[in-house]
Amino acid sequence: MPGPSENPRYNRRIRHMLARASSGLRIQFPHSLFLTLFRLAALLFGALLLPAASFASNLGDAARQLADRIAAISGPGAVALEVANRSSLDEKSVHEVRSALQAQLRVQGVRTVAAEQAMGSVNVVLSESLRDYVWTAEVSIGSDAARVVLVSLPREHSTVSLAPTQPITLKKSFLFAQEQPILDATMLDMPGGSRLLILDAARVATYRQQGGRWELETALPILPTRAFPRDTRGRLLLRRDHLFDVYLPGIFCRSSASAPLRLDCSLSDDPWPLTPDDSGSSNVNNPPVRAFFAPARNFFTGALSPGIGRISTLPAFYSAAPLPRPNYKLWVFAAVDGSIHLVDGITDQSMRGGHTGSDLAAVHSNCGLGTQLLISESGEPEGDTLRAYEIPDRDSVPVSSPLEFDGPITALWPDAALTSAVAIVKRSDTGWYEANRITVSCAN
Amino acid sequence: MKRIVLLSVALISLVCASGAATRPRYGGTLRIEMQSAPATLELPPLNTPTDYWDMARVLALVGDNLVGIDVEAHPQPALALAWERDSVGRHWQFTLRHGAKFHDGSSASASAIAQILGGLHADWNVRASGDSLIVETEAPFPSLLAELALARNLIVTRNANGTPIGTGPFRVVDFQPGKSLKLAASEDCWAGRPFLDAIEIEFGKPLRDQATALELGRADVVEAAPQAASGQRLRSSSSLPIELMALVATPNSKAQDIHLRQALALAIDRKPMHSALLKGAGEPASALLPNWMTGYSAAFPTQVNAQHAKALLAESREPALTLGYDARDPQAQLIAERIALNAREAGITVQVSLSGPDDLRLERIAVPTPDPALALREIAKQVLLPPPVHQGNTVDDFYQAERALLDAGSVIPLFHLPVASAASSRVHGWAPTQLGAWKLADVWLEDAR
Repeated sequence: MPGPSENPRYNRRIRHMLARASSGLRIQFPHSLFLTLFRLAALLFGALLLPAASFASNLGDAARQLADRIAAISGPGAVALEVANRSSLDEKSVHEVRSALQAQLRVQGVRTVAAEQAMGSVNVVLSESLRDYVWTAEVSIGSDAARVVLVSLPREHSTVSLAPTQPITLKKSFLFAQEQPILDATMLDMPGGSRLLILDAARVATYRQQGGRWELETALPILPTRAFPRDTRGRLLLRRDHLFDVYLPGIFCRSSASAPLRLDCSLSDDPWPLTPDDSGSSNVNNPPVRAFFAPARNFFTGALSPGIGRISTLPAFYSAAPLPRPNYKLWVFAAVDGSIHLVDGITDQSMRGGHTGSDLAAVHSNCGLGTQLLISESGEPEGDTLRAYEIPDRDSVPVSSPLEFDGPITALWPDAALTSAVAIVKRSDTGWYEANRITVSCAN
Repeated sequence: MKRIVLLSVALISLVCASGAATRPRYGGTLRIEMQSAPATLELPPLNTPTDYWDMARVLALVGDNLVGIDVEAHPQPALALAWERDSVGRHWQFTLRHGAKFHDGSSASASAIAQILGGLHADWNVRASGDSLIVETEAPFPSLLAELALARNLIVTRNANGTPIGTGPFRVVDFQPGKSLKLAASEDCWAGRPFLDAIEIEFGKPLRDQATALELGRADVVEAAPQAASGQRLRSSSSLPIELMALVATPNSKAQDIHLRQALALAIDRKPMHSALLKGAGEPASALLPNWMTGYSAAFPTQVNAQHAKALLAESREPALTLGYDARDPQAQLIAERIALNAREAGITVQVSLSGPDDLRLERIAVPTPDPALALREIAKQVLLPPPVHQGNTVDDFYQAERALLDAGSVIPLFHLPVASAASSRVHGWAPTQLGAWKLADVWLEDAR
């Protein structure tokens, strides 16, 4: 945590935690990648365990503080001590607190005895707020009026939570909801004002704002000539020479260039663009990356066309996002097997065994490194969350608090300008599908 | 090389940072255990509800109905996308889904479906009309859609071995009567290929063994006693109460004495049985249809009235009845004995027995549909009551019809009970319906690759 005079910075290293890890890496890496990965894993493991030990120590300190304050009121003698737990502390922690309390009281000359032998009573309540553990002690000695003392300490998650200091805020704004699964949604500028395009498995519907509501303007049917997969996915991409394209498993649709809107669909196994900007021949040296979608499944096969540098085949994946680098693009792939692949055109680095969300999207902003990676995370059973990450020079860091949704995220796509993303959520309460625009804003 | 280092570091932190919010994965075999041990893949009668639900779930994996039905009894498209009817509900026309195929590759055409449905209902006139299907019944049949949604009206053909061949998400690979069933994903299913590659079902497993198998990771989906399903430890799910537990009088037995039967009904204290023996699962009932379906069960009170019971028996001399029960039902014996105890307090001797002719039987009956008209008819048929007569399809109509059945009939409703099941943590998308259907085509496995 930064000091009070410092502005929080998300990509500043915490001096005495990760600095050694970084320097160790630099020295060791050239000899063995495996060794490096092992060391990193060990460091991460240690980073997870150390706070637990530190937390236990904090509990003891707070208990001793409380005991000192109790003793200051009671003076030496015998008291009846009651400890009630109304917080989220587990039984073991409560036992530790009680032991520390009793030990420190003894140091102060206060013995804990049965009520009938006591000169007074001390009723301790272990409570908590959202941020802190708050422990109160009501001390009643003889006929004196009871007095209350308390101590507090940050709750366990508060000590590690980055929420108050996250530099980036994710905001969701509701766009539209319907009973049928929404596959994608986007805004389209047209004569007469913007239209909201909603893609589902049966149609592309255009909506126009009227009286603060989206009113259906046209519905362009998609007549599938083959069965769609159960977890149907689809992409709605704005185009320069016509209005938009639609990609569905095994089907491609192209809209007319202007109103009246028309949609021509045909069977197609052509690859899907992985980025919204698919200007094709205008960028011959750096053509947009496309990937083949498995027509009877819910994932990309892993075949890229064109490839990313030397890499043209990857394991099957659900989603991909490019992160700009000074001289190249770093692509992040969420593979079907749960692994994450980082592809820079030369190497394909993968990590198995993690529990990574299968939907990710990159959005540009004026914050931080300028591009954030949005990743879906599980919030079972209530709903999924979305969180922004950055991969600065060497660490990936969460740069936002999790943005909560009222159900599972069923689709996550960046918009045409890559300045926001659309997250489709199946609401747990209604079962309806809800399109939300996700934007990134700087917290400071 | 530096770039590789950076990639490695980023990878580790990304993988560790993210929680799992994954899309459904394809592959894997789901292992199921069931209590029933079917000799054939045919639907058993409603009064063997465990066998009925098991087979209904199995057959729903293999075939589709012409229409489905939701918990509020609204029809849903299945093999039929749309339908029309005449004003009285005697003539129906169905628009069929294009492209649906049976597992043997043949088309689920109007003529093929007409042949199957016509074979199931000799009293219906079922025929193809182009791409549409026409169904005509002798009498008006407003509940025809609910009827078509019943498991017995699944659109399946049978091969020479009697193996069902349907249009559903899975096809039968191997059936060992009474022992096991293996199913494989249908790649060409009209609703999309299921996520699972295969399902293996082991039959004849008692509930306790199923729970153990689930705990030990030998099974992924099992049945459960409703009271166990309400616990937190299992990832379990209970349906709405879709079974009726009732005392059914045997024809020409002493239980046909209406005063005796009424006295017994008044003597039974359902609440202690419900809380102690059924662990609070379901609800005490004096009506045939569950309250979630009708909303009027309060009109059929379940209170004990021993005094009234004794008054009804004033002219009877040492009334005595025998009560039989299904030995496979783990709760039946205790409930039967409790009924005997209640009866004795009202002056009726009830002897609980597993053998010999019974005056009364403690039975469970599956309530196979959320449509009250059809459900009432099906229950009445099972307990040998005359077909219910109702003028219309209002709640009051159903209440009057049910009241008439109970007043004149020979059944004492006791409880409405849910059915429950549980799944292991590797099963995702596990969302059984409120009617107890498993919807396994949408299930996927955590470790599927």
